[in-house]
Amino acid sequence: MVFIKKKFKWIIVILLSVTLITITTSVIIVSQKELPTNDLRIAREAITEAKEAEANLYAEKLYKESVQLYDSAMVNWTKENNRFILFRNYTRVINFAKKSKKVADVAKEESIEKADNLSKNVEAAFVSLTKKIDLYKKLFKNLPLSKSIYDAHNKSKKFLSESKIAHESGKLKDAEVLFKKADIYINHANTAASKMLRDYFNSYPRWKSLANDAIAASKNGSKVILVDKVAHVLYVYQSGKVIRSYDVEFGPNWMAHKEHAGDKATPEGNYHISKKKDGGNTTYHKAMLIDYPNAEDRARFAQKKKQGLISRRTGIGNLIEIHGNGGRGFDWTSGCVGMRDRDIDDLYRIVTTGTRVTIVGSIESLTTITGGVDF
Amino acid sequence: MKSKLIIAIAAMGIAVLFSSCAKVPQAEVDAATAAIQEVKDAGADLYVPEAYQALVDSMKSANEKIEVAKAKWFPNYKPAKALLTVVSQMAVDTKAKSEARKVELKAEVEAMIVEVKALVAENTELIKKAPKGKEGREALEAIKSDLAVAETTVTEVEALLANGDLIGSNDKIKAAKEKATSIKAELEEAIAKKGGK
Repeated sequence: MVFIKKKFKWIIVILLSVTLITITTSVIIVSQKELPTNDLRIAREAITEAKEAEANLYAEKLYKESVQLYDSAMVNWTKENNRFILFRNYTRVINFAKKSKKVADVAKEESIEKADNLSKNVEAAFVSLTKKIDLYKKLFKNLPLSKSIYDAHNKSKKFLSESKIAHESGKLKDAEVLFKKADIYINHANTAASKMLRDYFNSYPRWKSLANDAIAASKNGSKVILVDKVAHVLYVYQSGKVIRSYDVEFGPNWMAHKEHAGDKATPEGNYHISKKKDGGNTTYHKAMLIDYPNAEDRARFAQKKKQGLISRRTGIGNLIEIHGNGGRGFDWTSGCVGMRDRDIDDLYRIVTTGTRVTIVGSIESLTTITGGVDF
Repeated sequence: MKSKLIIAIAAMGIAVLFSSCAKVPQAEVDAATAAIQEVKDAGADLYVPEAYQALVDSMKSANEKIEVAKAKWFPNYKPAKALLTVVSQMAVDTKAKSEARKVELKAEVEAMIVEVKALVAENTELIKKAPKGKEGREALEAIKSDLAVAETTVTEVEALLANGDLIGSNDKIKAAKEKATSIKAELEEAIAKKGGK
């Protein structure tokens, strides 16, 4: 019995010794293992730095990759920690963390470079857009444009302005989106307006011929009125020279030849003053009635009516005058030529009934008017 | 009897050695994660992005601390727990900051709407006094067009504000204010020149 007890004691001592040795060895092994703590901290900090450089916006793919690698490192760390302590291996965790840091660094660099390039591109786009808006202001803003063209131009200005604010706030992506919108609108406005202008100037050879005839007709000393619709100027020629010029206004649809009653257009062609009105004979201070429609107008009207382009019930229109009450700053008449009262007073005094009135779209060519600007 | 006691103590000692002394502070992790989600839902990533980023980073750091503890023979979750408590408090603070920023931004936008509306009204009056003439007419047309843009923007901003898009409305109203202010300066200059003649 004593022998058994002694033997049992020895077994316990041996067991305890083996356990102690095992534990000591395990502690030594585990303490020798490299933990991924530092690598993960470095990776996390690199990701934060990349985000501060807005890599999530400008190097989105790389940034996401770095975050995924970090997450993979954490998942693997958890997985390893769930294994028996002696069997844990953090090599994969460390590799993921190191790769995450590397990708985050690249994302940061790429983001800085892309943001810089984007900023330069946006600035260049501002210059280009401003030129397009200026072109509109220079060439098209006084044309009787449709509401859609007008709205498109205004929207482009609005988006450009918002894009500039976004750029100033460092929101380059937003600035890019906004200037692209602005570009679409200004291109639409300018394309439509330039087409309208070019189409209108298809009649330029006829206008040039009418204007030359009118000036030639004044060379015998008689006074001739020449109205330039695009320039909004009424000239008085005598002996081939301009003796007077006045700013004038037309109807809202001035950029068209008058074809029928109510179209708010001003006729183009050769006419004469058929009647002078003042006092109670006109509500426009002073007025000079012209002999619209002339034979050419009647023939064109009849042809268009025949073609069904003008309805049967529509008349050709009449009572086109050069009159006062103008100087309003916009095209407001129903197709007449509106002048300031002091200007009509002067004109009324120097011209007589029968004076030739030639109305043209433009005396100058489109190239001259646009100053050679490419549009 | 004595031997049995020694065996029992030894067995308990081994069991204790091979099992963890502490448990992962899962309740704290869950609470902090939920708090961060709540902060995000409150729009903190948009309104206070830096504070939100700091919060997310702290949570990541806490998760790392948990894994560090788990990797040891005798896990000690106290540092992780302490950090998680800080994270939860940070979440509360960040949410409050976000809400405050939203209130502040809304007030800024509303004030700017009032300012822009006043500027538009003022500019409409100034247009009446502005010189006309040929050049004046062209300039006035451009100004009217710009003013129309500012007016349209105010309507858009009011709609954005009603939908809770504070950042979008702030950017737009800033642009409108800038435009309306520049129009006013342009008109005042033109009127002053007219008066000087």
